Parts: sequence; C-alpha cells; structure tokens
Amino acid sequence: MASKTSAQEQPNNEQPQKKSLTRRRFLQVGAIVLGGAMVAVYPGRIPMRRAAAQMVETMDFPASISSYRPDFWFEILPDNTILLKSPKVEMGQGIFTGFAMLAAEELEVPPSQIKVETAGTSTGVIDSLGTGGSNTTSSLFIPIREVAATMREMLKTAAAKEWGVDVSAVTTQNGVLTSGNRTMTFADIAKATKKWDIPKTPALKPASAFKYVGKDMKRVDLKPKVMGKPLFGIDQTMPGMVYAVIVESPYIGGTLKRIDTKAAAQMQGVERVIHEDGLIAVVAKSRYAAEMAAQALDIEWNIPQKWQQADIEAIVTVGKGTEVNVQNEGDARSIIEKAGEQVFKQEYRTPLGAHAQMEVNGSIVHVEKDKATVIIGTQVVGLVRDEVAKAIGMDAEKIEIRIPYLGGGFGRRYAKMNAGNAARISKIVGKPVSVFNTREQEFLNSVYRPNTHHVLRAKIAANGTVEAITHDQATPDMIIENMSGKAGMTAFGADFISAGHGASILYNTANRSATIWHNKLPLPVGIWRSVGIFANTFAIESFINELAHKLGKDPIALRLSMVSGTGSGSEKIYTRYANALKTLAEKSAWNSPKTPGTGRGMAMANDRKTVAAAAVEVTVTDGVIRVHKVTSVLDVGIAINPEGIRMQIEGCVMMGISAALYEGIQVKDGQIGASNFHEYPLAMLRDAPEIQSFILEADDVPYGVGEPPIAPIAPAIAAAVFDATGVMPRSLPLKVA
Amino acid sequence: MNIDFTINGTKASVDVPAEMPLLWVVRDELGLKGTKYGCGKALCGACTLHVDGEAVRSCSFPVSAAAGKTVTTLEGLSPSEEKLHPIQQAWIDEQVPQCGYCQPGFMMAAAKLIKDIPNPTDEDIRSNISNICRCGTHPRIIKAIRRAAELQRISATL
Ligand code: FES
Ligand code: FES
Repeated sequence: MASKTSAQEQPNNEQPQKKSLTRRRFLQVGAIVLGGAMVAVYPGRIPMRRAAAQMVETMDFPASISSYRPDFWFEILPDNTILLKSPKVEMGQGIFTGFAMLAAEELEVPPSQIKVETAGTSTGVIDSLGTGGSNTTSSLFIPIREVAATMREMLKTAAAKEWGVDVSAVTTQNGVLTSGNRTMTFADIAKATKKWDIPKTPALKPASAFKYVGKDMKRVDLKPKVMGKPLFGIDQTMPGMVYAVIVESPYIGGTLKRIDTKAAAQMQGVERVIHEDGLIAVVAKSRYAAEMAAQALDIEWNIPQKWQQADIEAIVTVGKGTEVNVQNEGDARSIIEKAGEQVFKQEYRTPLGAHAQMEVNGSIVHVEKDKATVIIGTQVVGLVRDEVAKAIGMDAEKIEIRIPYLGGGFGRRYAKMNAGNAARISKIVGKPVSVFNTREQEFLNSVYRPNTHHVLRAKIAANGTVEAITHDQATPDMIIENMSGKAGMTAFGADFISAGHGASILYNTANRSATIWHNKLPLPVGIWRSVGIFANTFAIESFINELAHKLGKDPIALRLSMVSGTGSGSEKIYTRYANALKTLAEKSAWNSPKTPGTGRGMAMANDRKTVAAAAVEVTVTDGVIRVHKVTSVLDVGIAINPEGIRMQIEGCVMMGISAALYEGIQVKDGQIGASNFHEYPLAMLRDAPEIQSFILEADDVPYGVGEPPIAPIAPAIAAAVFDATGVMPRSLPLKVA
Repeated sequence: MNIDFTINGTKASVDVPAEMPLLWVVRDELGLKGTKYGCGKALCGACTLHVDGEAVRSCSFPVSAAAGKTVTTLEGLSPSEEKLHPIQQAWIDEQVPQCGYCQPGFMMAAAKLIKDIPNPTDEDIRSNISNICRCGTHPRIIKAIRRAAELQRISATL
C-alpha cells in the first residue's frame, strides 16, 4: 500500500481501468458506504475513515479517484433518502440524474429517493483527473453500481442479523427491508448497526433487468435552478467577505511598465490596492467599487511584441514545429508523393476560439492562520488545491475546496481560474474575498481553443475509388504549462497535448496517414468542448464531402463504400459507422427532393468510440447562412438517460452552429481581438433550427455524450453551403462572399 | 443618500452610489443572487429583471433609475415555491436548464414576452429575445415559452 504522503504528492495518473471492486477492496471502502449526519456519533466511523483513506490510495477506480481526505460516497439520511456524493462536478451535463439512476438500480429505490451533490475535498472523494472528456458517466457506470449493490447487501445482512433470520429471507424495496411481517427502513438499520459485515461484491443486474437505465428521466436539479437559488460559485458569500478584481495585462505577454494606484485607492468603497510580486488587484467593499477602481488604475504596459493574426497563423501551419505521425497504414505518404500534381488537395483552417461559458471564472477564498477554504467552480478540484497551496505556502491538507454548481465549463475550468491569486489576496487582507473575472478579463486573459491548419490529400485510383488519404494538421501545444498545479501530460495522454485528437482518418482506405505538426503559440490554448475532434472533423469531413463531389458520388454512399470492413481496425466500429450512416440517410430523408434554394450537407465522427453523424439543411440569402434543420444520429453504446442525451445533442448542435457561423478570435496589435460578446457573437434563439435526434445503442458499454455530437455540425453546414451556392467555405467561421 | 424602491413586494432602502448598476445592488446589497452577471454591457441578458413591469438589463441600469419603482427578480416571480409562475413550470416541464446560469435572465425576458404577447409564435419568440445561452438550450426555451403561454391562458380561464 502506498504511503499517504506519496499518494498526495503524486496525483493518481493511472490509466482508466475497468476493474471490479474486490471483496478486500470493499472491506476497506466500508466507510464510504455508511456514514453521514445521522451516524456521526457511530463509534466505528473514525477508524473506518482511516481505513477508507488507505484504501483510496491504492484504488484503481476507472475514474481515478484521488486520495484527498476521502470520506464516503453514500450517506443514509434520517428521512431515509440516500445522499450520493459525486466525485465529478455538475456543469450542465445532467450527470447527477444519471448517477441517481445507476445507484437506484442496485439499491432498489426510485431515483427520486437519491439526492446527489458534489463532494468537496473534506466531505467525499474527488476525481483527480477532473471532469471532462465526456467520460463522466461512462467511467462510473460500473463503480457506482458496485458500491450501491454492496451497500444493499450490507443493509440486508445487518437486518437479517437484527431479526435472526437468514439474509436470503430479507428483501428490499424503496428503502424498506422486509422479512415476513417485519419491516425496517435503511435509516433504522443504519442507526442500529454497530458492526457491518461486508459481503462479496454482488453480481450486478443484467441490462435486461434495468428499471430506470435506458428510460427518460427528468433532471433532478431543475427546481432550484428555476427558482433562482444561489447555486453557483459567484453566488456564494462568507461573513465579512470583501470583493476584489485582479488586473492583468491586456497584451499578449505584456508586463507592467508603470502603475499609479493613488486615484484608485482613494475611491469610494476601496479598501486596498495590492501591487505585490506581479499581482495587481483592487479590494473593495463591493464588486462594483472594485471594478470601478480597477478601471481607474493608471497603468502602462510593456508590449514585448505586437502580435498580429498573420503571425499566429504562420506559427500554426503544416510543416512548422514538431512532426508527430499518429496514423500510418499502408503506403499513403509515398503514394501521395509519387502522384505529385495528380492528387486532390485542399486546405482548411479553424480560428482561435473562446469558451464563453456564461458564469465567469473566479472563486471565494478565506485564508486563515492554519486553514483555508475555497469555493470554486472548477473541472479540476485537486489541481486547484495544489495551486492554492503553492500560492500561500500552506499544506494542501489544510485547504478545503467546496464545489458549487458550475455555470458552464466546456474545458475552460481546467486552468487559469485565478484561485491562487485569490488566496494571496485573502491572505494579504486577512478576510474572505470574492474574486471573479469581468467578462473582459474572461475574453482577454483566458485560455483559448487552439487554432488549426489542415492539409488533406487524396489519390484517386483509375477505377474511381480512393486509393490513399493523408491528413497533415498543425496545432499549437496546449494544457501542460497552463494546468493549475501539476499532473498535465501523463494524465491526459498524448492526444491531448494538442488539438491532435481525432486527426486520424476513420475511413477504411488501405492507405491512410495522419500527421500532427505542433508548435508553440505565445498565448495559452486548451481544451474546448471535444478538444481536437471539433477542428479535425471540420477539415477531414469537409474534405471527404469535396472528394464525393469530385467523384460525382453521393457523400453518404461514398462513406458507406469506405466503412465496409476489410482493413485493419475492429470490424465492430465499421458496422457502427455503417449503421449510423444508414440511419442518418433514412431519418433525415436524405434522398428526398430538396426544397428549391436549400442546401444539404452531412458529416460523421468517432469521438472516443461514440459515433456521431449529422445532416443539415441551410439556406443562404444575401450572404447570410441559416440552418433550418439538423438531424443528429448518435451511437452511444448504451443510453443511460435518453432525455439527458437529447439535451446534450441539442446543446452540441447549438454550440456547433455558433462555432460554424459566428465564432473566431483574431489577434490584433498584440491583443485578443474580442473583449466582450459584441465582438464575439454567439448563436441566439433566432439561430435555433428544428432538431431531430436519434440515439443508437450498438455496444454494451455507455460512451460519452457531452461532446461528440458537436463534431459533425460545422462540416455538415459547410457542405450544405457548398450544395446551396457552389462555393465551398474552408475556414471557420463560415463565410460566403 | 438613500435610494428607496420596492423589490419582490418588500421595501428596500440602499445607501450606494446613484450610478451603481441595479444588478450589483440586487445581488450584493440585497443578497438576491438569482439575477446574474454575464457581460456587464447589456449584451447577454443574464441580468434581466423587471422594473415597473418592463424587462431591464440591470447591469446597465443605474440604481437611481429604480427609485420609487417596483423591481421584480426571478425570486419574486412566483407567489411561492409550490405555486410556480407559468414560465417556471414550463421550464421544468420542457426540461430547459443545463448549467442553468443564463436561465434567470431568459425566464424574466420570457415572462415579460408572454404578458405582452399572450399567444406568441415561434417568430415572436425568436425575434424578441436576444439573450445568450452557451449550453444551447435554445430549442427548449422556444418550446417552453409556448407552453408557458398555454399555461397562462389555462390559468386565466380558471
Ligand atoms: S450582464 Fe447584463 S446583459 Fe449581460
Ligand atoms: S443553461 Fe448554461 S448557459 Fe444557458
């Protein structure tokens, strides 16, 4: 067993593994199962907590649960509801509903009897790998059910003992245990039991016996959201709290040249202007006063280089930087080289993008002599804790992180959330402080979706089939130096060091290759909903659509001809592609006559085994592109909550339309060229098309749903614009001259 | 100098600079966190509330302009937790919110819309509400507004 210290210093970077909880593990995990308010006086709790701490250090849950002061997953509350502490954060995905459904299956209670909340560092287990990558629900598909099933058996065993009957004589339904005419609630037995027997991990219910999984379930978190409850980080307060605004250079790589704080310091409500070791901040009695005073600071910046858009694009260009080949099948590159001028070649670009999640980043921090409390909406709880620890020189053990609901994430809450600086401010002023970005900071001092450049080439054989395809993609490096604290590369894997994710050609041509050229940009870039799949699918699928046009073939028919499976790779995935394509053709009425003036387009992607395909219909009037209809087909393996999946599909369709039609950041004169929504417009109600979604379940495990559906949207729109106008747009946002 | 107004049926008196945006007064002086900060420049609608029945982007509305008036925020939209406003009910029925952060602003804008246009078409909805939602709940917002209008008509005939 690893020692406690080493487990804390090294975040658990083990690759996700699917392993059952063994009996020995569960023995140690016991405290995770029963605890909470009503058994707080239960004498076994403290030793069990210690056992749990040891256990979690050696744990290899697929979700990479960290070892920060672990407590438990479940609590049975006095009113017999069951509290599930989620190791993953809720930022709009609806995961709490899925978790309740999974636990309900094995606990034999309705999902409404389970209440889900985010674990904080002092109240539960947290996930050191963070929440994102669309793996949240799939990574916990087995663990949640195993813990729930074991807990159910423990409760039954305890009741059997209490009644002096064999455990086989005890049944349970809706949180009530029954044997003959005797009944007892989960809460009763949890209160009465001093010593728990832990059974072997019970066999899990087969999918055919699921009562809730696979059925539409309403989200469990909506009532407080429609009542305007203070759910988000920015809504939280602490007694005696003051407000601060941090001031950062509005220039890329800019440093402070001169500052005069006098005027700002004298403004009404201002408590203090901080200018220490690179930190500039105004602390005031109200957020408004802090913002006004920050604007009144008299500051000049050194601008090391006035970066322009052309510089940024030149850095991110195929042939520049470090070359990494990620797919090499057959002889693609030499075939293409030999064909010379005869190849079909196109280039595509995607711009820098903003996450623009609606709640700005920030935190509320109270640093005291011997402890610190941080309230923050983040996707990486453990890393934020390390960042704060380092910023104020405090042992991470003494820092408690509380996680509210997140007002959107999309990858933006992995880095640059300013928690370390907020902690420094609280330490300096000796008070709790609320430090949230202005929207301008959120745009100008952020982490961006990486820009990309793509060169695709294909050799068409004499018989009109595609003989070879190569994809060269240029992308800036990302994440590693921007992650709060450590972890970084190993935690995310090579795919994620750049927007290289999804660069490979999924079509089964005998000769195919994908190469990433990664290079360093002067500004930080990071994960944006679906990482590289967004950019790569735009380029590759646009190319395939252009190829179909060139060959005079229907784009779905061409794809179907390239997913029949004799090449390498598993046959199953090709069957799933074909299935998705055929479903898309049927459901979108692909072969029906078009309304005059409309254009149709489609695209497909494989994002971490979720197959996503979409078909769209557009019109183009006076250069304005309107998307009228989107048909989305998503093969998710197993669907846990179809209604939740449809919500994610709709969200991805809207974000995909937004990114395709409007979004892009241009760098100008050393600055990010968008400071607020007027310079970075997003899709609005008027852009909402008719959306039909179809969920396929062609595998036996659930795959991610939060990001994959976005991938095919932009290339499908580009193809539809091409269909309608004869002009193929090859960069985002799409423009028709 | 104090500025007085009524908020969600209660009298309020605040001693703040006259030009302080109503958004921050409501959130930080009065502790009503349902009204959200999104952009601070009247661009996103997250801060929408009602002043004397008009939908207002409170980040760009000085508190002095609310003096003597009646302010309603999302917290004051329904008579009680049990009896929801048609907009709130429809928002749950149609399962609108994802992260939920933009929703208070949308709901306040929508509540005003169905008061002015009791039977709105999709076109009315699309062209009259220009709030921003990053999670992409737009299709459900449109459905929910139509449903809320229907709920409003039903309750009017009761
Ligand atoms: S915060 Fe007022 S419109 Fe955006
Ligand atoms: S629900 Fe998240 S921004 Fe609208």
